[in-house]
Amino acid sequence: MKSNSLSYVEIEYDDQIVKMFIIATMVFAGVAFFAGLLAAVQLAYWPANMNLEWLSFGRLRPLHTNAAIFAFAGNAIFAGIYHSSQRLLKTRMFSDRLSRIHFWGWQLIILAAAITLPLGYSQSKEYAELEWPIDIAITVVWVIFAVNFFGTLARRRERHMYVALWFYIATIVTVAILHVVNSIEIPVSWLKSYPVYAGIQDALVQWWYGHNAVAFFLTTPFLGLMYYYLPKAANRPVYSYRLSIIHFWALVFIYIWAGPHHLLYTSLPDWAQTLGMIFSIMLWAPSWGGMINGLLTLRGSWHLLRTDPVIKFFVAAVTFYGMATFEGPLLSIKSVSALGHYTDWIIGHVHGGALGWNGFLTFAMLYYLVPRLWGTELHSKKLATFHFWVGFLGVLGYYLSMVVAGITQGLMWLAIDGQGRLVYPDFIETVVRIIPLYWVRAFSGGLFILGFLTMLYNLILTIRRAPKQQSRLVKVTSNMDTLLSSEEQKGHRGLEGLVPTFTVLTVLAVLAGSIIEIYPTLFLNNYVPKSSQLQPHTALELAGRDIYIREGCYVCHSQQIRPLPAEVLRYGAPSTIAESMYDRPFQWGSKRTGPDLARIGKKYPDLWHLRHMLDPREVTPNSIMPAYPWLLRKKTDFLSLRKKFSVLQNLGVPYSTEEVANADLQAVKDAKHLAKQLMDQGAPADLTEYEIVPLIAYLQSLGQKSKLEIPPLESPKGD
Amino acid sequence: MSDEKESLTDHEYDGIREFDNPLPTWWLWTFLITIGFSFIYFLHFFSGSAPTQIEELNTSLSTIKKQAKATNTKEKINSPDTEESMAQLLGQTTVVDLGREIFKARCVSCHGPELQGLIGPNLVDEYWLHGQGRWLDILTIVKAGVLEKGMPPWEAMLQADEIRAVVAFIVSQKGTHPKNPKAPQGEKIGNP
Repeated sequence: MKSNSLSYVEIEYDDQIVKMFIIATMVFAGVAFFAGLLAAVQLAYWPANMNLEWLSFGRLRPLHTNAAIFAFAGNAIFAGIYHSSQRLLKTRMFSDRLSRIHFWGWQLIILAAAITLPLGYSQSKEYAELEWPIDIAITVVWVIFAVNFFGTLARRRERHMYVALWFYIATIVTVAILHVVNSIEIPVSWLKSYPVYAGIQDALVQWWYGHNAVAFFLTTPFLGLMYYYLPKAANRPVYSYRLSIIHFWALVFIYIWAGPHHLLYTSLPDWAQTLGMIFSIMLWAPSWGGMINGLLTLRGSWHLLRTDPVIKFFVAAVTFYGMATFEGPLLSIKSVSALGHYTDWIIGHVHGGALGWNGFLTFAMLYYLVPRLWGTELHSKKLATFHFWVGFLGVLGYYLSMVVAGITQGLMWLAIDGQGRLVYPDFIETVVRIIPLYWVRAFSGGLFILGFLTMLYNLILTIRRAPKQQSRLVKVTSNMDTLLSSEEQKGHRGLEGLVPTFTVLTVLAVLAGSIIEIYPTLFLNNYVPKSSQLQPHTALELAGRDIYIREGCYVCHSQQIRPLPAEVLRYGAPSTIAESMYDRPFQWGSKRTGPDLARIGKKYPDLWHLRHMLDPREVTPNSIMPAYPWLLRKKTDFLSLRKKFSVLQNLGVPYSTEEVANADLQAVKDAKHLAKQLMDQGAPADLTEYEIVPLIAYLQSLGQKSKLEIPPLESPKGD
Repeated sequence: MSDEKESLTDHEYDGIREFDNPLPTWWLWTFLITIGFSFIYFLHFFSGSAPTQIEELNTSLSTIKKQAKATNTKEKINSPDTEESMAQLLGQTTVVDLGREIFKARCVSCHGPELQGLIGPNLVDEYWLHGQGRWLDILTIVKAGVLEKGMPPWEAMLQADEIRAVVAFIVSQKGTHPKNPKAPQGEKIGNP
């Protein structure tokens, strides 16, 4: 250390805000985990949907993912960042008031999400479901957080930024960019909007966002936390400063490109898919750089693994991180994706990361922090060890059951026999086969929750026996004014003292891949041949589409047929760019718990759909889909259609002024017609006014709207 | 431990120190190899020397088609379906029973458990919408479906003898009297 200055100042860190975030973390962990458990049970046992619209799987799943990512992981990140940054920078947070506005603002956003998602207010873009007023609130609160954080950096008493802070900076700036760009949408009403991007653009922007939400919300901040708490807990120096530098920059530069690996074998142009794949492969080593630096930091103190539950959680977390970041590149190889995409393998993969990495790292941090913040000892080490083992079994059981389910189902989907026919042509066969594994998953999730409840009990007792807090002044010395050797002003070491330069370089690293991949697709619609331009949705179909979005159908049904032989046999010609060019938002989906719907239109009679929505098992025995009886009770919102048409017209959908002006009237007319057809086929009553009618109109229009760019592929049995 | 002390940097943050160990060799090689692979893969796909996804699809579809043709011609020579060959099935209880099972699983949701008609038409009355109600008419409809009415082409889902069995079962039920028959649709043909 160069600083020889003996002049110190006495300050008190704001630990109150850390405690607040810790408590919020524990509360929302419970919400996220129990919502997940209910969703898991619903897949194994459909009556658990309880015929309640607010808790049916399509609405519960977004609630679960949002709670897990933004409420549980979010609050955990903030707790760790507020705690470690003050200490790494030797200063109290920039503004106590901003800290509190950040805290309460974030909790209000979560509350708004918890109310609106079950009510069906959703944009149906994964991990970005929240409607526009909440999107704006998120932006405001995030900016407040950023001001508070960078303000603290500006007041630091430590000249150089430790690697944890680099990761915090990357998180704060990138999440802001991702959220704002992905959330550009035009409101129709207070809780309904359409994104400016359509079809393929929306798909690319959304998965650029979705993938990097994983990168910059669930990876970089947690790596930052690891870099602070792991060496602290083990009391060992970090393994390699050089490795920190290389893997940090490689990670932030490469991660952003990898988004299209969520869109392999879709109608996304081949070049973008190729970029998504190769950058995912190159991401393997930078990710493992973090794991190595974490694990090798423990050299010389491996004995702690046996005795210290905190170290146990850290080691397991970092190992799960290594596993998930190996599996990610693997799944991004096109041929592996052909098998794994849309299956539960992906669900296993993300939970290996979410439960194993984010969950266990948070638990390690909590076991480390709570006793220290409250000035006492952990209530019971034994219970913490029990938590570790039961949680570990839970993650393992979850992961293995889903990987086996995913690969089984993937192979069944792709199987073609010698006569050129699907071996399992009936989708439901492939669902029934994996239901036992859904039970294993629910049970494993239960184990994970048992561990969590043990921790909750343990930490509550720890907090309850805490002594009355006195102010805890700490003495810190500043090294901001000490002269630096020329060595310390050069290269990366110098950069670590220059916050604005460092931040700008991070932004540039992140923007490079973003611009190269997204910019060209903004003009893609110009390349769609005129002959294949499709007709936009009619007003009635649009009303139905918005019901489809509200119910979260995308959670289980894709609308994207991949150019694979088995897909063509099962669903028809591969999806084209043109077919979704007016889709706001795109509904390509990412998971097929049920079959693809891209060409479902006219495949079944109208009445089939009516009966299927009322009770799926009546037409598909053993179906696990929830029933939607409320579609026959709720009345269609025809009135808003004029506004919706006008918004879409402004966004470039070729509706005539007359069509906009008559949207609602035309929809009522079409609804009457369809309701009459349904009656003729044997429907119980006149359903003109009810939501089931537009939904059927929409479903029957899927795949019927455009002339195909490529001739429809003949089935191999054709001649 | 002495070598460790040598590589320890003078950085210290809230008590956290940092070694300056070199990058692990295997890690560095992993990184370089993935970059090398990506570069070659990139050139392969961007130079146009690799097939596009649609080209790949068409190649594998035509392979499948050729194979299927070979198998199917063999099968067709063995058993061309005729009115007579089909009518013989009626006497085989195992075939009719197989047909009954398949009907229960696949057809009941639209044609009703007693074939009385629900979404789809009544199959036991004397009226026919498509064809004349002869063996081969029914066989063709089951195989190819009636897409505009929502009848799926079962050829893709069922084996050839399964389809024959279902047809045999349907014919075996002719003349039964379901409790709530769907109103007649199509032309009155009578029993062929």
